[in-house]
Amino acid sequence: MSNPQRRLITTGYAGLPFGALSQCEAGCVGVLGVPSEVNTGPRSGTSLAPDALRKMTGQLGIDLPANGRDLGNLDLSGDWSGALMQLVTQMVDQDIVPVVLGGATDVALAVLGALPDLPVVAAMPLARRDVAARPANTIWVGLNRGQSADVWDQISQRKMDWRTARQLDEGNSDTLDVPERAVLWIDISVIDLGHAAGSVGLNPGGMKPETLVSIIGAMSCRWQAIVITGLAPARDTRGMSELAAIETLNAALNNG
Amino acid sequence: MGDAAQAQFDMIPSFLGAPVGDLEDLVPGQVAIAGYFCDNLDRPMAEQRYLARQLRYASRPGKVPVNGIDLGDVNVFPLEQDKHFSAVAAQCAAVLETGARMVLVGGDSSGLKALGSAARQVTGADVPVIGVTGGVAGNLSDNQPVILSVDLHELAGIWMSRPRRLAGLSPSQMIAQIDATPGDVIAAAIFGLAPALDNRGGTETRAALAILQALADRLEKGER
Repeated sequence: MSNPQRRLITTGYAGLPFGALSQCEAGCVGVLGVPSEVNTGPRSGTSLAPDALRKMTGQLGIDLPANGRDLGNLDLSGDWSGALMQLVTQMVDQDIVPVVLGGATDVALAVLGALPDLPVVAAMPLARRDVAARPANTIWVGLNRGQSADVWDQISQRKMDWRTARQLDEGNSDTLDVPERAVLWIDISVIDLGHAAGSVGLNPGGMKPETLVSIIGAMSCRWQAIVITGLAPARDTRGMSELAAIETLNAALNNG
Repeated sequence: MGDAAQAQFDMIPSFLGAPVGDLEDLVPGQVAIAGYFCDNLDRPMAEQRYLARQLRYASRPGKVPVNGIDLGDVNVFPLEQDKHFSAVAAQCAAVLETGARMVLVGGDSSGLKALGSAARQVTGADVPVIGVTGGVAGNLSDNQPVILSVDLHELAGIWMSRPRRLAGLSPSQMIAQIDATPGDVIAAAIFGLAPALDNRGGTETRAALAILQALADRLEKGER
């Protein structure tokens, strides 16, 4: 058996050993897959994302720039959302950074629900009303197309920082006001469809994957939790979308 | 051979549509392009050996290099490393001794090492290897023999059917680097790509073909 094959069987995401939360130490990461599926819209496939990400990091020999454990996938029977919130709260209380691999948007909403007072850096094409309504201001990265008027009013009134995908692709990110501590939510739909097709949202004119990696990597923020959603790996036979998610996650952990 | 069989044989494509020849056909200044079907010895990755085949299939009669010649494939012995290396180096040396320039296509970077050994044997000195990503070495004289290393692994992910990383060079950046390579490029190796053999591989194969064309053009120029 070759080393990559052996690695696929014995290790979790990016070379981390599988383990339990009790084996995670303060300052480490706990990777948790939450393979929920989208229930609206014509594009699906998010339930395949956590295992596809594990597989690709194994195949490419990519390691995470942090120690920790892969906690496996959350059982989605019963009140998984409540269980996820509890797990995230536990990890943050123990100074462990939860890295949550969705799954659909509901995964990120549960993570944000567990950390209601923290600001959010949200990489997504369309600003969300519920996220904009959080007590702390959200930093919006990669907005694209027409935004809902009431959400935009809220963003404007509260003077939230935002950048469009085009602005970021043109290098306009130097004045982004990033908080010291925040939750990072990356919706893979923020990436342009032509660059990476493996997302549940169609986003022509979205960000380039390299831009996403460099923007997130340049943020010196102490991430309290990271969540990736909207990745539908089966829709991208080249694997660019998974690669974008993996490199963005590594960039975030390198700097954060 | 019957007419039908001959017609089929004639349809086997060659690199860049160049005429097919053998060692005895070579003359000084000619650019001999040969396939290298070995991908298990140095930075191994299965299927890199198929690049030569794919580039022949993708070649269309068009801008045929004036002095180009498809020399076939070098004989390889992938399971006998010592025999393999000396055999490939000897074949490359035989080409370079004619005064022709040589391009090895496909496989892993072990072909580049054999090419370096052959160049040393023929010129009597170590021949510097210039990588296409390492920037252009500015202190080389125009007549300094050099070997050009074109590692297609350095292409950005967007050009690949199975990307391994996002960052990297575009084909046009590689071509510009090849064109700007200083010195007397006596040999080159283009390797490091395992092209998908279905439609997904179309983009990377066309990119690699354009880079091979630029490589043949640069070798035809000789000294810079």
